[in-house]
Amino acid sequence: MANTLRLYLTCIRNTLEAAMCLQNFPCQEVERHNKPEVELKTSPELLLNPVLICRNEAEKCLIETSINSLRISLKVKQADELENILTKKFLRFLSMRAEAFQVLRRKPVQGYDISFLITNYHCEEMQKHKLIDFIVQFMEDIDKEISELKMSVNTRGRLVATEFLKQFL
Amino acid sequence: MASTEGFVEADNAEAIITRIEHKSRKIESLLKQSKPVEALKTALEGSPPKTRDERCKSANWIVVHRALMAIKDVEGLLSSLDAEYYDILMKYLYRGLSTGDRPTCDQCLRIHEKLTERAGLGCILRCLADTVNTV
Repeated sequence: MANTLRLYLTCIRNTLEAAMCLQNFPCQEVERHNKPEVELKTSPELLLNPVLICRNEAEKCLIETSINSLRISLKVKQADELENILTKKFLRFLSMRAEAFQVLRRKPVQGYDISFLITNYHCEEMQKHKLIDFIVQFMEDIDKEISELKMSVNTRGRLVATEFLKQFL
Repeated sequence: MASTEGFVEADNAEAIITRIEHKSRKIESLLKQSKPVEALKTALEGSPPKTRDERCKSANWIVVHRALMAIKDVEGLLSSLDAEYYDILMKYLYRGLSTGDRPTCDQCLRIHEKLTERAGLGCILRCLADTVNTV
């Protein structure tokens, strides 16, 4: 179980290291504009093949690259309804604070839970291998956070219910 | 130019699919003789180049998938495979990873790690950048 996680993260890390070759490329259609090409998808010659890496039916990672930007979309494992709600709320909380993260996208891509958008400017300001470390670390930590949240919700629920039902004893 | 290519495609598609069927029979027999490495080599060899036809690609993928799932010894496979097949194998691995089927993904992830160690990041990048010969 842990082995597949390790293989999955290694695969994503290798793919990101290969795909994160970004350079500045001003917009071809509109002068003086500089847009992340992976978001617009107007010119097919600027886009590389998107790659979908699935660990199993529930978890997957979509990596789309273009000449000046790279988009990573993650779908996190959600075992039951409670985890579903917790994941949605937690990742929405993070996405709303996307300014602080810089590489986070405000809205996840359709069909995924959270998306990152890395542009050439990020690669110039920050170190490439540190960015990749951040993404992989994020993926590892998300699972832990969601299980912690679930455990605390269950504990709190149990305590509240015990207290409340004591009056009926 | 595009129209002649389309014409050639239609005829070629049937020929390619028959070729793939021949290949799959050969691969079945190789697998029965417990030679998964040769089976995979045969599967990768006749990969239809520059076909736009989805049927040919799917047919070839099914054959390669069959050979891939039979592989148990990844190290042995990679040491006996020639370097020219690394790129094609990487493309098929990514196709396998996109299916989402658990045993396929497990197998593909295992082979992907070892193949990257051998072939390097250039292999992955060629796979991403090649929009013409997709698999």
